Amino acid sequence: MRNRLKVLRAERDWTQGDLAERLGISRQSVNAIETGKYDPSLPLAFRIAGLFGLAIEQIFQCD
Amino acid sequence: MTRPPRHAAYRRYVRRMLPTALAYLAAVGLASWLIPDHAPPTVGTVLLALLPGLAAAGWVWAMARLLIELDDEYLRMLEVRKFLVATGFMLALTSMWGLLELFTTVPRLPIFFAYPLWCLGLFVGQLVNRLTLGDGGGCR
Repeated sequence: MRNRLKVLRAERDWTQGDLAERLGISRQSVNAIETGKYDPSLPLAFRIAGLFGLAIEQIFQCD
Repeated sequence: MTRPPRHAAYRRYVRRMLPTALAYLAAVGLASWLIPDHAPPTVGTVLLALLPGLAAAGWVWAMARLLIELDDEYLRMLEVRKFLVATGFMLALTSMWGLLELFTTVPRLPIFFAYPLWCLGLFVGQLVNRLTLGDGGGCR
């Protein structure tokens, strides 16, 4: 699964740590999701989408 | 660059494991001191010999609590992967050694070594995580 997390984060000038803090997860998790090593659960994907004010499919796309 | 703080669940895990390890060592020392070599299995010797087992059960409980209290799903996945690799490692090694015992004259491996082998498997699991995800997980 591909995602636009890095781009969305950069648009807001957030570090991985900033995003992790806003989501209540570890920076390791943010890095793993951004680099495509880990696909988040549905509840976490909803939290990410809610934070950016977007729909899940606007952030995550199937390969 | 400063290292991010460890998840609180890891700190609690260490706080649980250390006193349990000390209790284990004390119980092993007590049993070794009080039970003579080749003692028959009386109620007293069995209870004393099993005393360190309570601490070993405490380690299992601490590991279970770690998985329950790790509310970060990615970190929890890393730990679960380590536990699965460790279980596979221990099962494979003990099964292979068991076959060697069955068909050859290799020395018998006491069942006591299953747990230390499993712990050794945790390091293998950490290595697998690092090689496949670039992330070892906690307890580094």
